[in-house]
Amino acid sequence: MRDLKNAGKYYWHYLKKYWFGFLMTAILIGISTACIVIAPTYLGRAVSELTTYLQQWTNTATRGDASLGSFHKTLWVYLVLYLGDASTLLIASMILARITAYSTGTMRVGLFRKMQRMQVQYFDSHSDGDILARYTSDLDNIFNAMNQALIEIFLSVAQFVGILIVMFNQNVTMAWVTMGSTPIALIIAAVVMKKAGVAVNHQQDDIGKMNGYINEQVTAQKVIITNGLQKDSIAGFRKHNQKVRQSAMSGQIWSGVLNPLMQGMALLNTAIVIFFGSWFALNGTLSTGAALALVVVFVNYAQQYYQPIMSLTSLYGMIQLAITGARRVDEVRSQPDEVQPADGKSLAGIKNELQIDDVHFSYLPGKEILHGVSISVHKGEMVALVGPTGSGKTTVMNLLNRFYDVDSGGITIDGTDIREFSLKELRKNVGIVLQDPQLFSGTIADNIRFGDPEASMERVIDAAKQANIHEFIASLPKGYETEVSDEQSIFSAGQKQLMSIARTILTNPQLLILDEATSNVDTVTEANIQAAMDRVIQGRTSFVIAHRLKTILNADKIVVLKDGTIIEQGNHDKLLAEDGFYAGLYRNQMVTD
Amino acid sequence: MKVLMPYIRRYRKDVYIALISVIALVFATLWQPRLLQVIMNAILKGDKDTIFQQGIILIILAIIGIIAGVVNTIYSAHVALGVATDLRSDLYDKVQSFAYADVEKFSASNLVVRMTNDINQIQQIVMATFQQVSRIPLLFVGAFILAMITMPQQWWVLIGMMIIVIAVSLYTYKKMSGYFAKTQQDIENVNTVARENLMGIRVVKSFVQEPHEIKKFSAASDSLTKVTAKIGYTFAILMPAFFLTANIAVVLAVYLVGQNITIHPTYLAAITSFISYLMQILFAVINGGFLMIAASRANISLGRIGEVMKTDPSMSYVEGNSDPVEGDIEFDHVTFTYPGDDAPTLRDVSFKVNAGEMIGIVGATGSGKTTLAQLIARLYDPDSGTIKVGGVDVRQLSEKSLRKTVAYVLQRSTLFSGTISANLRQVKEDATPIQMQWAANVAQASEFIERLPLTYDAPVEERSSNFSGGQKQRLSITRGVIAQPKILILDDATSALDAKSEKLVQEALDRDLTKTTTVVIAEKISSILRADRILVLDSGRIVGNGNHKELVAHNSVYQEIYRTQKAREGARS
Ligand SMILES: Nc1ncnc2c1ncn2[C@@H]1O[C@H](COP(=O)(O)OP(=O)(O)O)[C@@H](O)[C@H]1O
Ligand SMILES: Nc1ncnc2c1ncn2[C@@H]1O[C@H](COP(=O)(O)OP(=O)(O)O)[C@@H](O)[C@H]1O
Ligand SMILES: [Mg+2]
Ligand SMILES: [Mg+2]
Repeated sequence: MRDLKNAGKYYWHYLKKYWFGFLMTAILIGISTACIVIAPTYLGRAVSELTTYLQQWTNTATRGDASLGSFHKTLWVYLVLYLGDASTLLIASMILARITAYSTGTMRVGLFRKMQRMQVQYFDSHSDGDILARYTSDLDNIFNAMNQALIEIFLSVAQFVGILIVMFNQNVTMAWVTMGSTPIALIIAAVVMKKAGVAVNHQQDDIGKMNGYINEQVTAQKVIITNGLQKDSIAGFRKHNQKVRQSAMSGQIWSGVLNPLMQGMALLNTAIVIFFGSWFALNGTLSTGAALALVVVFVNYAQQYYQPIMSLTSLYGMIQLAITGARRVDEVRSQPDEVQPADGKSLAGIKNELQIDDVHFSYLPGKEILHGVSISVHKGEMVALVGPTGSGKTTVMNLLNRFYDVDSGGITIDGTDIREFSLKELRKNVGIVLQDPQLFSGTIADNIRFGDPEASMERVIDAAKQANIHEFIASLPKGYETEVSDEQSIFSAGQKQLMSIARTILTNPQLLILDEATSNVDTVTEANIQAAMDRVIQGRTSFVIAHRLKTILNADKIVVLKDGTIIEQGNHDKLLAEDGFYAGLYRNQMVTD
Repeated sequence: MKVLMPYIRRYRKDVYIALISVIALVFATLWQPRLLQVIMNAILKGDKDTIFQQGIILIILAIIGIIAGVVNTIYSAHVALGVATDLRSDLYDKVQSFAYADVEKFSASNLVVRMTNDINQIQQIVMATFQQVSRIPLLFVGAFILAMITMPQQWWVLIGMMIIVIAVSLYTYKKMSGYFAKTQQDIENVNTVARENLMGIRVVKSFVQEPHEIKKFSAASDSLTKVTAKIGYTFAILMPAFFLTANIAVVLAVYLVGQNITIHPTYLAAITSFISYLMQILFAVINGGFLMIAASRANISLGRIGEVMKTDPSMSYVEGNSDPVEGDIEFDHVTFTYPGDDAPTLRDVSFKVNAGEMIGIVGATGSGKTTLAQLIARLYDPDSGTIKVGGVDVRQLSEKSLRKTVAYVLQRSTLFSGTISANLRQVKEDATPIQMQWAANVAQASEFIERLPLTYDAPVEERSSNFSGGQKQRLSITRGVIAQPKILILDDATSALDAKSEKLVQEALDRDLTKTTTVVIAEKISSILRADRILVLDSGRIVGNGNHKELVAHNSVYQEIYRTQKAREGARS
């Protein structure tokens, strides 16, 4: 039931703006149903007119008067009524088709928009494939259900209302008798639907998990092949596949049995009407003949009464999938957004200093990663962060860009806590070259101008030149127009890092963060881009994380982080003189003859 | 269809039960109106006994209907899910038999869509077939025969109606096929954009490009929306068109009866039943039409699956024993071009490494270091020349034997979500805690693993996002060494490690894996200083081969690399 309510809310959210379309549809379907109800009477009239004609014709005395004129007229009316039915139904279906396509489109983009607003933490802790299943499985199910079930819902409701009106007009007692089995049908439906709901929920969740598994495995196919893990991978897949099979089995069965059950109920109901009707005819107030005729009529109605229920239940599997789909999409929709101040301050660069002040931070509650880190940087300074892996360097950078927020302490720019700036403003000012570069599908030029899609080709080429990747790009047959994507990139790992640097250089950020940005680049190339980097860094505030200490010798301040605590701080010469952790690192790395 | 039949045949028993139950269902459906006729006559006559008798039969019929319906649902589900599960399984097996180049060709995200969404389309149509389609011919034939008996003169009205309905169905089938092909394609595109935004969410956020990415996604999504709207419109036309056709047929039939009423006066009484048969035929045909259109989507999906199934792996392995071979490596005039490239990435590469040696590879970014390593692990085959491992051409080694011999730690470290120990057990099934600890010690990973609350059973998230870059690398190295391979390739695998940890890793490798041939690709000369030999790569050619001392003395490319890494130079003094 909760699912149903949530699904209701979800669809209401996306469909309420189409209220006019739905209203029109309801009216049109009403007209169409009226046509269908009235039309048979004209057919009846046509037949009786034909009978009259035949009688007149057979009688030689009246043969001269016999005419098919009124018969033809009646047939025309009948045809016009069905034209009316067809055209109203057509328009209504068209309206619904449009609503279906465009509302599912809005749902899809809505989900994507939501994804863009969500916290990084969600993506760090959820399977990509399971999220993607919302696009490829759940939204597809929603479309299918709306495409076929929506019109059926309208038609069924109209038919249902129509038959109720007709029945109660004929005979109230018999109408109640006909409806007598409805509570039982409702109970059966409620029980089955509850079971089906649970089963289909399991089914879709298992499909999501399987999608997650496949996505992760195939994405890492290189690891699978080089380690010969194909059998393992298949074994793992089999488990997911079997699980989906089992849960889908009960999902399909529970949602599939509703229709035969309702068909059975329809027959039982007919039997009830017959038995009760006959008793009523024999013991009632009506004359026997009239009463019996009434029974015959109501046996017909009894069947029509269940007709809409049966059409709807035959689509129930689809409808349940749409309910579950809405639940799963809504699950993502209800995740918290990134925290934004109500009216965020704007930020135009660092004027004086950036201060990291006694910051404590943990990814998981109870497991603190940073234990009171304080760093202060003046405008234009370059700070180097060094330390063993896992000491928290990337974590500090994650905080500067507000991918995560501090537990306690604070980061301030010129005295203002960064949480008071609008996120957009903050991130526009902070340029970060991530440890793990990521490209997007599109041309090489698109990737370089990622941070500023309007950038001219000159700026793109200039950025590529500074990052020392221009020559390689120019050597490709299609140059900057070469199509790439992250998985089918034609770059070596180091070239990808250079692309990532070019991308950041182009945006010209006020605060630059380089997180092991050249770790896969050879040192000759690194030295070549050093000059360019120096120019970029010049006048800007920057944080540089690197293991190759050569790149940070010129830092104004070197901060040594170990296990989330700062253990040394100062410039290169000072730290060498202190002969502590840094000095050890330095000596370990440099080649000396 | 050819793809599907063998799968359906596997569930022959379930197919039979599903079909038999459908026949029972049709029987119940067809018999019920007759029964009602009898009962109503009895009611009008006040014949209580008959009412009672036939009423009981009606209830029995209801029960038969319910049972048949439920049985049909259950067995249809058996068939549909069986077929879908088997098909998906085979598809997955197929993908796992692919060489890396084949996976690249299809792309991971597209393969995922085919294994989920496309399979689902097929599952649905199979389910519908056994629930609905099978009853259509029965109902259709029954009604058609009865209609012909009732008014044989008007056969052409019937046939005409059917021809129109079928023609319309066929036309839409064709049109829909195009739309559905586009739909599946668009779903793939939507998936691709969404997927890369998941993976690169940090990039998108840090460049504040959410609006731009939304635009990009909307473009993909709008294309899908447009084609689904077209599908919807086509569907919308069908139903009213069918009804109208049927009612025109009715009017035509009645009109004709009227024109000839003086010749065939008996037809007057037959009109009602003729119309009801007409409607039954129509319903059967409409249902068939809709199913056919649904089938057109499944057919497209089937084609897309067939495309994968029909692809032969571009690389095959010989059968043979699965023992590892010795650890020497030999490249003999190897030239290699990436599929789709014009110019070779490796040119005429020859070198030899003896078992147990440590060899370093240096060279500019993009010079072909990773490519060379990938050829040892046979991710690709060379255009010309041979690569020998343990004295045997790698193309003559069984897959097992090659994988047991060579452990390759990739440049981009990738672990699977799960636990640390599960990742390690993947390469060494029977790894004991002590062995894990040993491997982690070599990789300098035990230091942080043992500080995790669950140590070796600590969770690993997708993309190993809960570990730092260097921790990921050390876990990858742990996985690389745990099976004590004959050849260990470290492709820039310590780039995120601080100098101290890196040195410790190397010392441990020297100490604990003395018999292993190690190929170390590195940017830092300090990482390969102790190598027996260092290969210098430049634009896909080997331009240097010797130890550090020799290269420093004579190799200009190496000298340049070395110059940039010497102590003090460049430091402010
Ligand atoms: N998303 C996350 N969830 C949980 N733990 C994390 C996450 N990201 C990093 N960690 C942990 O935080 C610590 C610091 O990581 P990080 O800042 O990436 O280190 P590094 O100094 O190498 O950049 C590591 O122990 C790592 O395991
Ligand atoms: N999958 C691929 N398809 C086409 N070209 C590739 C592919 N991978 C790498 N390349 C190209 O091959 C060259 C060598 O790459 P690689 O061996 O990865 O270099 P590195 O020496 O940095 O490891 C690069 O110029 C790169 O552009
Ligand atoms: Mg890091
Ligand atoms: Mg490489």
